[in-house]
Amino acid sequence: MLSPERLALPDYEYLAQRHVLTYMEDAVCQLLENKEDISQYGIARFFTEYFNSVCQGTHILFREFSFIQATPHNRASFLRAFWRCFRTVGKNGDLLTMREYHCLLQLLCPDFPLELTQKAARIVLMDDAMDCLMSFSDFLFAFQIQFYYSEFLESVAAIYQDLLAGKNPNTVIVPTSSSGQHRQRPTLGEASMLEGVEASLFYQCLENLCDRHKYSCPPPALVKEVLSNVQRLTFYGFLVALSKHHGINQALGALPDKGDLMHDPAMDEELERL
Amino acid sequence: MIPGKYRSVSGRAANNVNCGLHLVIQTSSLPEKSKVEFKLNKETPSFPGRLLQHDLERNYSSRQGDGRVISPSPRNKSSCISSTTNVTDLCGLEMKTTMSSLSAFGDSSFQTPSKSRTRQGCHSAGPNVSGDHINLASSSMPSFPILQRSSEEKILYSDRLTLERQKLTVCPIIDGEEHLRLLNFQHNFITRIQNISNLQRLIFLDLYDNQIEEISGLSTLRSLRVLLLGKNRIKKISNLENLKSLDVLDLHGNQITRIENVSHLCDLRVLNLARNLLSHVDNLNGLDSLTELNLRHNQITFVRDVDNLPSLQRLFLSFNNISTFESVCCLADSSSLSDITFDGNPIAQESWYKHTILQNMMQLRQLDMKRVTEEERRMASVVAKKEEEKKRESHKQSLLKEKKRLTINNVARKWDLQQHRTPNIATNQDTKVSDSPSQDPSQLHGSAVVSAFPEETGSLDSGLTSALQGLSVTDTHLVEVDGDTLSLYGSGALESLDRNWSVQTAGMVTTVSFTFIEFDEIVQVLPKLKMKFPNSLHLKFKETNLVMLQQFNALAQLRRVDQLTIDPQGNPVVNFTLWKYYVLFRLSHFSMQKINGTEVTQNDMIMAERLFGILAHVASSELPQYRLISILGDARKKQFRYLLETKGKKPGLVNEENNDSKRLVGENTNRATLNYTTRDFYNERLEEIKEKKKFCKMYMEDLVKEATDINMKNEALQKLWPQMFIELVRDAVIEIRNKNSYMKLCLQQITDQK
Repeated sequence: MLSPERLALPDYEYLAQRHVLTYMEDAVCQLLENKEDISQYGIARFFTEYFNSVCQGTHILFREFSFIQATPHNRASFLRAFWRCFRTVGKNGDLLTMREYHCLLQLLCPDFPLELTQKAARIVLMDDAMDCLMSFSDFLFAFQIQFYYSEFLESVAAIYQDLLAGKNPNTVIVPTSSSGQHRQRPTLGEASMLEGVEASLFYQCLENLCDRHKYSCPPPALVKEVLSNVQRLTFYGFLVALSKHHGINQALGALPDKGDLMHDPAMDEELERL
Repeated sequence: MIPGKYRSVSGRAANNVNCGLHLVIQTSSLPEKSKVEFKLNKETPSFPGRLLQHDLERNYSSRQGDGRVISPSPRNKSSCISSTTNVTDLCGLEMKTTMSSLSAFGDSSFQTPSKSRTRQGCHSAGPNVSGDHINLASSSMPSFPILQRSSEEKILYSDRLTLERQKLTVCPIIDGEEHLRLLNFQHNFITRIQNISNLQRLIFLDLYDNQIEEISGLSTLRSLRVLLLGKNRIKKISNLENLKSLDVLDLHGNQITRIENVSHLCDLRVLNLARNLLSHVDNLNGLDSLTELNLRHNQITFVRDVDNLPSLQRLFLSFNNISTFESVCCLADSSSLSDITFDGNPIAQESWYKHTILQNMMQLRQLDMKRVTEEERRMASVVAKKEEEKKRESHKQSLLKEKKRLTINNVARKWDLQQHRTPNIATNQDTKVSDSPSQDPSQLHGSAVVSAFPEETGSLDSGLTSALQGLSVTDTHLVEVDGDTLSLYGSGALESLDRNWSVQTAGMVTTVSFTFIEFDEIVQVLPKLKMKFPNSLHLKFKETNLVMLQQFNALAQLRRVDQLTIDPQGNPVVNFTLWKYYVLFRLSHFSMQKINGTEVTQNDMIMAERLFGILAHVASSELPQYRLISILGDARKKQFRYLLETKGKKPGLVNEENNDSKRLVGENTNRATLNYTTRDFYNERLEEIKEKKKFCKMYMEDLVKEATDINMKNEALQKLWPQMFIELVRDAVIEIRNKNSYMKLCLQQITDQK
């Protein structure tokens, strides 16, 4: 129960960091909202059920977006729920548009913002031709990256833009001794001639970012793996690579591997019964 | 003073040779002394000049007597002139009825029985002037014979002269007869009226059945009151300017093509233009005294100006070419008209003829020579009312149609504006305006059209134009029931669901169509729709901004939906590949038959289940119970609890009652969790949640702080406890080390307590 970190932080901060407070708040909120119904069948039972469902990841079903994105666990749960519910769509082989995927998302979360779906679609479709059809798996993995790491990706985008512009973001954000080395490397002519940014430099920035980022971010080792394969890369190239990397998928733990994406024997069984 | 031919009216009528003009000028009986012997002098060598002089002298000398004759104001009560003109016009079959109708007619033409009697008297008293007493001399003048009467004749009939059937080709010069008041040239061959200008006292001039081609030579006959020119060859009414006292003008049987030059005849009471070539009637101004107008046997197609005849009582339009009431509608405005005939016109063949005439001319006493009875009048008014209603109805219909078109246009315009304001949904709007309004009104041609407009329908009674102007741009919605279809245009139309619909109408409606209404607004009235139109099976949506699959969830609350039609226009959701399956899945409890006109197959159903079944399963089985309860509406809670209770039992024990209740509700509970809250409502709820969250956050903060405090204290205690324990033990040991002193101390304590 008691992890060593627990002792390093004051209780309150620890609870907050582990999102326990979030769930407790939400539980009370839910209780408040449905107090008539819940009082009938017991408050203790309610709390049991609530935290059970949090553990199972079913607590996010049909909840508001602000709650769904509140914790990494919620995000992972939502991704998993999305996959489970609409796996059959992918299995059927249908190619859908961004808007239609968005509609499916809205079936689970009525106020899911279009912007996120658009961004995920952009990863698949490379910016242009937003009305194109996408396969379920392409969309799902892109969506996973976009949704789960959305704050991280925003920071990455900012860093990427800075790198493109020739600035070294690290100097601005974290004044470390290494900043001097970075500045010398990319010459302006090179950067503008070639597409994207240099991978190693990019990685250094990202590693730095991962260190201080309070939101969840992909394991730096895996990011390094992604970036080590290429010399230079663009932002969307990076995202595509992230979304196709099954190590990251595994680390995230919400979705099965790409090969097993269409398999969900338990659910299939249920379906058969229906 | 009655001309001979009028002695036996019926006889002449039977012969059908004459246009009878009953003329009764009732004056005081003629003084005997004014009788003058008519003398016919063959040798009279006089030339016109002398004759004229002579005439003038005579005229002058007998003025005294004349004055006496005329003085009792003949135009008024003392004289009664009436015509039986239509006697001659009766022909063919009608002749048989002439005898009977004639007498009636004759009677009616006299206002009072007493006058009728007077007429009889006049008849018998009428002089029978025959040609025997008259000698016509072929004069030395080239063509004009000179007429003279013997003096005894002159004495006998001093004021009248009859030259009937004398084979005259010209008017003879009448000498020495300046006092003549009555002159008869019937049945001659006269081609031109002349040589009578000296007869200035002439009151009655009969030129019936001659060959006169032009009215002329009458300008000096200022006293003339009766002018009979029937059966001549006159083409034009003219040269009557000076005949201001004319009372009767008979021009029947001529070739007159239009009515003209009569407006000065303000004393004219009878005008006969039967058997002419008139094609229409107008120019009737100024005939202020006209009481009878005969226009039979012309080719009249329309009648105007009759309402400008203040005294007109009898109007005969038989045997013309009148085919619509509109062409004679001025008749309705005549207040004096009491007797009219239309027989022999196309109009008289129409089924509506009698009713229409009677309805529009309430003042009428006789129609086609038959007395109008009260019964007929009542019938007419009933029928006319019906027709009026029919007309108004059709008028209304066309108005409604037009209004509908405009309203829909307006609604479409508004809708477009609204859509432009929310640009993320805007699609092919250019086509909307042109397409949508034009194709819908065709639905209107149903049997029972009950259209209800937001504006009051009363204003529709006014004219088309005014009503159309009344169609303001404020019309923002339209509700229409056409047979079994209820059509709603514009969001305002949804309010109509609050109205009290008759059970019959509501029961009949099986199709409900929504156009130009936000789907979210429709969702809010669905419960009402379910209540008010329980039989609605077919829902149509067009331009309703259906953009999301979950919007279909809202339809699940309805009682039954057999068919669903989502027009791609303004409903982007239709572009999705999955929408149909989702509808089938979500609304599976309706077992729908058609979606967008296509039959739903078993395969479709299976596919829908395969695609979305898991969603339903997850939704129902994985939601915590408290969520399930809160998501399902109040109505479903009961059922849900029931299910919970029976869940524990083995499936075999589930009794029939349970099955029934399941079937009644119909909808799978697992699907019921998939519902739709409209955007606004959802946002409202989010706000609420936010508030609650705020409170919860504060509450939790306090709670957690307290808990951590306690925890901290607890931990501190844990740390201190071993030391404390040791100290406690040590203190105790020290205290009891000296037994005696300890005992003393204890004893001391006990005594102290006491």
